Amino acid sequence: MKLRAITLLTVALVLAAACGGQGGTNTPSATGGTAAGAITGNITLWHAYGTGGSEETALNQLIDKIRTANPSAKITVLQVPFDQVFNKFQTEAAAGGGPDLFTAPNDELGNEVRANLLMALDSKLSGKLSNVAQLGVDGLKVDGKLYGVPMLFKAVALYYNKDKVPTPPKTTDELMTMLKAGKTLVQNENAYHMFGWSTAFGGNLMDSSGKCVADQAGWADAFTYNLALKQAGAKFETDGGRADTSFRAGQVDMIINGPWVLGDYKKDLGAKLGVAPIPAGPKGKAGPLTGVDGWYINQSAKNVDGAIALALALTNADAQKVYADVAGDVPVRTDVTVSDPLVKAFSDASATGFARPQTVEFGNYWTPFGDAVTKIIEGKSTPQAGIAEACAAMNKANKK
Amino acid sequence: MASFAITEAATSAPAGSRRGAPRWLTAYLYILPATMIMAAITYWPILFQVYMSFTDYGLRNLRFDAPAPNFVGLQNFIDLITNGITVIPNFSFWGMLSFNLFWTFSNVIFHVTIGILIAVVLNTPGLRFRGFYRAIFILPIVVPTLVVATVWRNMFDTDYGAINQGLAAIGGIVGITPDHFHIRWIDQIDPPIPGIPLPLSYFALLITNIWLGWPFMTIVATGALQSISKEYYEAASIDGASGPQQFFRITLPLLRPAMIPAAMYGLIVTFNLFNLIYMVSGGGPLRQTEILVTTAFRLVNEQRLYGLAAAFGIYTMIILLVLTLLTNRITKATESYV
Repeated sequence: MKLRAITLLTVALVLAAACGGQGGTNTPSATGGTAAGAITGNITLWHAYGTGGSEETALNQLIDKIRTANPSAKITVLQVPFDQVFNKFQTEAAAGGGPDLFTAPNDELGNEVRANLLMALDSKLSGKLSNVAQLGVDGLKVDGKLYGVPMLFKAVALYYNKDKVPTPPKTTDELMTMLKAGKTLVQNENAYHMFGWSTAFGGNLMDSSGKCVADQAGWADAFTYNLALKQAGAKFETDGGRADTSFRAGQVDMIINGPWVLGDYKKDLGAKLGVAPIPAGPKGKAGPLTGVDGWYINQSAKNVDGAIALALALTNADAQKVYADVAGDVPVRTDVTVSDPLVKAFSDASATGFARPQTVEFGNYWTPFGDAVTKIIEGKSTPQAGIAEACAAMNKANKK
Repeated sequence: MASFAITEAATSAPAGSRRGAPRWLTAYLYILPATMIMAAITYWPILFQVYMSFTDYGLRNLRFDAPAPNFVGLQNFIDLITNGITVIPNFSFWGMLSFNLFWTFSNVIFHVTIGILIAVVLNTPGLRFRGFYRAIFILPIVVPTLVVATVWRNMFDTDYGAINQGLAAIGGIVGITPDHFHIRWIDQIDPPIPGIPLPLSYFALLITNIWLGWPFMTIVATGALQSISKEYYEAASIDGASGPQQFFRITLPLLRPAMIPAAMYGLIVTFNLFNLIYMVSGGGPLRQTEILVTTAFRLVNEQRLYGLAAAFGIYTMIILLVLTLLTNRITKATESYV
């Protein structure tokens, strides 16, 4: 009797589970999940947005909508500190664990693909990215294969306080004139935020073989210009939080930073906030590193189809509009109309940016050039010597 | 009744009882669970680390179904001591080790000296609010290092930090303008003392770690002071010994058995003090305050060079082992004095 009851209960549970699993397939999703496939089953996702920040708010809004539209899906969201997200994912995914999908910039994409930690998605996404900018798709490719669902562009631009700077500088000369006239600028003193100046002065980091050629032209000129900016009163901060605070508090008039802080800057400065591309230099437009935020599917994902469907729902036109409106992020989709001029400015900056390479060689850019930035800006090295030393160190590490 | 039962139990179950399991087997059975757990979480990782140190283990080998790494023999160990690490520009193992040792000894000397002095003061007969002082002084130990490091990092902030603001306030009293106290504690590259190649961030770290480290030494010294018989001091007074003579001839020698092991513990902890350095200076400026463990962390966390980092870890273990044995030999810490 007892055995029969257990058997009946088991059969009932199996049937209920099976029916539940199908429910999401038949329910049209308000966020586009159905068009891409069913968002069903248990799906674990990781993100590395700041707690309480506008990007986390945007994601939470979208997840809430998707949960409502897909009641059979059990979506677990875990926030991981940004400085640990890649290491944590790599360690856990390597052991067969980790999330089904996670979002991050394409900083570690090449390394993770070479470690076989991410799933190639070409066949799964075939025909589903027709409205995505080619730069966005290319940003998530390694050796010709696609390893993520593109979502946002990330590149730095010039924020300015309209009360202090009614018209933003278009050229490096205009910026210098402004500083000499008493306007103020704070720059994050690191190899990422300052990358864009090199292109404006004709610099090129690597040749086609991955050899560093920054010591040949442009880079040293860019740093000579930055030293002149410092002499004219520009502040250089190694602490990004401190740089942010000084701009948000109105203590400085301009700062170079990315769209991930746009929502937070807006809260403090409101209508006074303006965004423009980094001023163009004598050799052309500035070329900040353009990264692509995507959703990556873990090679060990337990629910691959559910994860891909969720990624597509989080990157469809409606979702990208939410990211743009709430967080000020730049959509990779061409069918999303950006009404906010600030986001539009970031979109322009991304378009002229330098697509972040996914090569092994580029991985050895950060430490030598980070040192070079510190040495040059702190006056411990001339721009020429600093760049030559960094380039030599990069080539030594890359055996070039 | 109870004593009878114990006697009976003792006599009826001799060693190597013929009726039950041998006593040695019982003992092994008792420690088996702990041994298995230790084997899984300690011994196996250590053995695996030794294996990794002889390979070029990297991110590509991390996945469970990944190909095995290449065996490179002693290459990692050789690369480290010959400064052949190309991913870190200007890498100098010996320079870093020298700084690590200097950092360790300079800190522990302060910890022990201040710890003993404050313990002696707290031990003064008739001192009021002694319990309150002891409670206050233990605070640095109970606050998590991460919190301590974050607070001190903020206190050293150039523009808004309490240290510079406090110095400016004091300077204001004697007519020095606040501009003179715009001190870049963490970022300044030039050494503050000409001829001594230590950046200002070293001194910031030293101040922080002195605050963090002396209370432990005070607790140890206080305990040891309680065990020193007053008769020694009374006899010394009768013989005409002065206060300093009593301190150096009685107090210090009798504190030694307790303080040397504490100092050795302090040496090991300070040698590997990752949290503080990573959170306060980040090893900067230009890696001038990096120690071995922070560098090993970078090799793993930033470069994903697990094989190299494993070799680094083994070097660290060997250095600490030598340091401990050497200190033990020099100070005769394990000898008894009382």
